[in-house]
Order: sequence, then structure tokens, then C-alpha cells
Amino acid sequence: MLNVANMSASYGAIDVLKGISLRVEEGEIVTLIGANGAGKTTTLMCISGLHKPRSGQLTFLGQDIVPMAPHHIVRLGLVQSPEGRKVFPRMTVAENLEMGAYTRRDPDGVKTDYERVYSLFPVLQERKTQPAGTLSGGEQQMLAVGRAMMAKPRLLLLDEPSLGLAPLIVARIFEVIQTLNQQGTTVLLVEQNARMALRIAHRGYVLETGTVTMEGTGVELLADSRVQAAYLGE
Amino acid sequence: MAALWQRLQKQGGIELLIRVVLLLYPFFPVLDWAVQSLTGQGIRLDRQLVNIFIFGLLALALNLQVGYAGLLQLGIAAFFAIGAMTTGVLTVEKYPFQLGFWGAILVAPVMAGAAGLLLGAPTLRLRGDYLAIVTLGFGEVMRIVLLNLENITDGPRGLNPIAEPWLPVFVKDTIGAEKAIYAFALFALVAAVVLLRLLERSRLGRAFVALREDELAAACMGLDPARIKLLAFAGGAALAGLAGALYATNLTTTAEPNTYDFNYSVMVLCCLIIGGLGSLRGALMGALLLMGFDNVVSPLLTRVLQKAIGGDSNFVMASFSNWRWIIFGAALVLMMRLRPEGLWPSRRIAKELHEPPAEVA
Ligand SMILES: Nc1ncnc2c1ncn2[C@@H]1O[C@H](COP(=O)(O)OP(=O)(O)O)[C@@H](O)[C@H]1O
Ligand SMILES: [Mg+2]
Repeated sequence: MLNVANMSASYGAIDVLKGISLRVEEGEIVTLIGANGAGKTTTLMCISGLHKPRSGQLTFLGQDIVPMAPHHIVRLGLVQSPEGRKVFPRMTVAENLEMGAYTRRDPDGVKTDYERVYSLFPVLQERKTQPAGTLSGGEQQMLAVGRAMMAKPRLLLLDEPSLGLAPLIVARIFEVIQTLNQQGTTVLLVEQNARMALRIAHRGYVLETGTVTMEGTGVELLADSRVQAAYLGE
Repeated sequence: MAALWQRLQKQGGIELLIRVVLLLYPFFPVLDWAVQSLTGQGIRLDRQLVNIFIFGLLALALNLQVGYAGLLQLGIAAFFAIGAMTTGVLTVEKYPFQLGFWGAILVAPVMAGAAGLLLGAPTLRLRGDYLAIVTLGFGEVMRIVLLNLENITDGPRGLNPIAEPWLPVFVKDTIGAEKAIYAFALFALVAAVVLLRLLERSRLGRAFVALREDELAAACMGLDPARIKLLAFAGGAALAGLAGALYATNLTTTAEPNTYDFNYSVMVLCCLIIGGLGSLRGALMGALLLMGFDNVVSPLLTRVLQKAIGGDSNFVMASFSNWRWIIFGAALVLMMRLRPEGLWPSRRIAKELHEPPAEVA
């Protein structure tokens, strides 16, 4: 579905990604784990077109997306929920979700997706008319995921949804990610919380300072002694 | 007073404002008569109101750019001038292609909007303060070009006389040609308010808010920030062009190009800041206050002042309009200290200024 081949990226003179390759197949949850500063966010930014890679290929559903503008890429069904729960703080919860559906022209489908988001995150329904900035961190993350769902993603890019959240809430969010996946959304999950991510992922990649150093199924990586030493604290 | 204020705010503000003005209109002759008998000279309030309406339109135009889209624009006078100049070129006898008022009123916004597109397309990517510098420069360049392209613009004299609007005879007979421009300006203002209201509630209006809140998140949702900003910029420019067309028609000349200077742009910005950036009713109220001060209060006070000091009209401080920048400056400083959201803000903007989003760790 998504193919990243030998992609490099930099900010000015600083090389951040040094030729990484990865792929995501339809129906999978793929995770990209790595320490802070490894280049995970940059990878997602390049995939969504918000940062242009210096070299390499990016294809989504067989189309070359490197030259495409971000708003065009979203319309293909490749939707990112950015790092740090970037909800629109002074818009209400409902308005945030409405913004998620910005590109859509199928009011009926949008309506059923509201229902879907509200049934996955009942708390959002309760807070419908509340400004998003007044939600708790966990609720904001749920809203950020819900908002991305409103864009009807075929491939959902999630950037550290567990960041700064209590374990119980992280568990809840990962549960929802799995549900979404079972309902047909493919997911590329970027995480520092390697254990949780690898548990729900079909496959995973390890990113170290701009290079993919390991890849395998979730189970394989969880069992790998290097991964355990570096990312699972064992 | 505070209770009255709150009630005013609760009711649809603009509608109320317009209703009050309309209701008062029949009484203006009485007011004029009162002023005349007190100071020996009328002030022709209906004419001043035309200026206020036109300035209100201009404030709404700038509000679209600065308030909605968050683009700091310091050269709105340039687009106003383009509207006025287009009207001049299309209506004065000097040129063979006379389209009259109706033609000009349609073409002026198109020209100004096109200028907005041309200036905006390459520059809107610039960060806020750079955009401010570019637009400030554009405003000044436009003024100097108009001054120096004497063959086309008649330089400092301005193109004139601009013919009065053509109207069917029966309309002319009922409202009188002189009142026509009043009716046009009021109609244009009301139409602009209605359209902008609709815009605020539309998908694009939401997009403006989202862009102001978080551009990255907005881009992730498939908004095209460059295009949305350009739309706001060109739309505001077009509306300013319409205001310019009405302005020239009202004056019957395109005026001295120095009229459209940096001060003029800043005045419009002052309206927004005093009334409430991003708020329709605030923009109108700012225009009413500033233009009202300039055209109504200041001449009155000048007369009073000159009577008091016994006719030495050359004394600088005896002319109240020379006090305006001091007074506007003080008003701005006070606003920033006491009520940064403006006198009559939109609820959302007031929130943006007073409730920094709770950052949850
Ligand atoms: N906008 C930027 N300008 C310059 N350097 C950046 C920028 N964003 C990220 N970086 C640098 O790129 C590297 C990778 O960052 P990032 O992709 O955010 O990593 P991660 O998401 O894995 O923590 C870091 O060293 C970071 O300092
Ligand atoms: Mg990151």
C-alpha cells in the first residue's frame, strides 16, 4: 500500500534520514519505533508531504506521492495525526471533528463516521460542545485520533499517541487503534513506547539516528535481545 | 450602563447598529439644524455617514485579511486606491471607454482583487512580519506610481469629474441623485455584512479559524493553507476596491494620490483594533468611532475651540484634526492595556486572547 524506498531527508545542512526503506501492506498495523530524535516524526512528515524528502521514492497505492501537495495526499486517504495532540484548542470537540472531515463531500458518510468516533470514544460525545483545549491530555489524544478518522483514512499515520499519557489511557487508545484496524483502516504507528506498540503491531521497524537498523514481526522484535536491551528496558 | 452594554452585545450587534442608524436617519436634518443654530454652520450628517459606510466597508475588507486569515496587511489603502482609480479611468470623459458607475462598480473590485492575487501569490508564504513589510512597501509604491503616472492618473489633481450614478428617472425623482450614493454605500455595506456573516459560518470560515489555531494540524486535515490565505487576501482586496469605487464616486474625483498613504492604511487597522479584530460588528463600530471622530466630532470641536480662542485659526492646536493622532494613539495604548480584544469582539477571538489553551502535560 505504502512503499518508502531509500528516502533521505534533511533540515538545512543537517541530515536526519539517511536512506530509509519501509513498506506498509493493506490491513496491517506497522510500527516505527526509535528513541527521541531518531527521525520518526520527520519520516511521517515526508510521507504526508509536509516535509519534502531530499531523495528517494514514496509510493502510495501505486502513485508517486513525492511531488504531491499535502492536501492532495490527504485526499488519497493518507492521513496523519500529528505529534503532541495538535487539536484546535478553542474550537469545540464537534468542530474539531468537523475539521477532520474537511476534504469530504459525502455528508451521509461523514454522519456515520461521527457516530463511529463517538461510539469508540463516548467521552467525546459527552464533551461535544466543550472547547478542545479544556479536555484532559488523554481526551485530547482521543480527539486527535477521532479527528483523523473523520478524514476517512485508508492509511492512518499516528505520531506518538501515547506521549505523556497515563498507562491506563494508553491502553485504551491502543485498544481503539486495534479496533480501527480490524474495521479496515491500515495503520502506521510511530512510538517511543516500544512495548505497547510492538504488542499490537503486525510488523515493526527500528529507527536509529536516521537509519532503519532492524525489522521484523511484532513478536520477533519483542523477543529480540537488542530491542529488549535498547527499548524495553530489560 | 454596563447592563445596557451587555444587552447590546447579546442582541445581534450589527443588525442593531444598522437599525439604529437607519432609525436616526430621518432625524439628521433636526440634528443638523441644531448644530447649525449652535455653531453657525451645519455638518451635513448624511454626507458624513456615506464616508462612514465606505470606511466601514474598507474595515471589513481588512478584517477579512487580518482578522480572519491572520495576515498582517499594512497596505490596504493601495487596493482602495486601485478601486478609486479604476472608477476614474472607466468614467471620466478623458477616456474613450466609459462604462459609467455601474460598469465601474463591477470592474473596480475585479481589478483590486486581481492586484491582491498578484501581490499575494508570491508573498503570502512569508512569515507575518515580512508580509507586513511587503504590503507596506506595496502601499507606498502604489501611491507614488499614481502620483507619477500623470498621463493616466492626472497625478496630484486626480481624475475628475466622475459622473454621478446613473439611475432610472423615477428612482432619481423619489430619492434624489444626491441621496443615491448614500443608498448605494449603505446597501453595499449591508450586503458585505451579510456575505461575511455567511462566510464565517461556511466551511471556508471554519478553515480560517483552524488555520489561526494550528496551521500544521490544519494541513494534516487536508486544508491548503496557501490557497485559503490567498482567497482571504484577494477577497479583502476586492472588497477594498469596491469601497474605493464608492469613495471616488462620492467625491466625484479619484482624489490626490497622497490620500491613499500609509496613514490611511493604519487608520483602517486602528478601526479593527479598537472595534475588535476578527469581529464584523467590531470593524463597523471602529469605523463609526474613528470616522465619526474625524468627520463629525472633530469639526464640531474645532469650531468650539476657535470660537473660544477668538478666531486665530492658524494656531495649529486650534484645529482639532491635528489632535487626532495623539487621541488615536492614546486610544490604542489604552485598548492594548485594558481590552486587547477590542470594544466589541467576536466571542471566539476574545477567547483566543484571554484563554490561552490549556496545555496538558
Ligand atoms: N524543523 C526542524 N528543523 C531542524 N531540525 C529539526 C527539525 N525537526 C526535527 N529536527 C531534528 O531532526 C532530528 C529528528 O527529529 P524527529 O524527526 O522529530 O525525531 P523523532 O520524531 O524520532 O523524535 C532531531 O535531531 C531534530 O532535532
Ligand atoms: Mg517525534
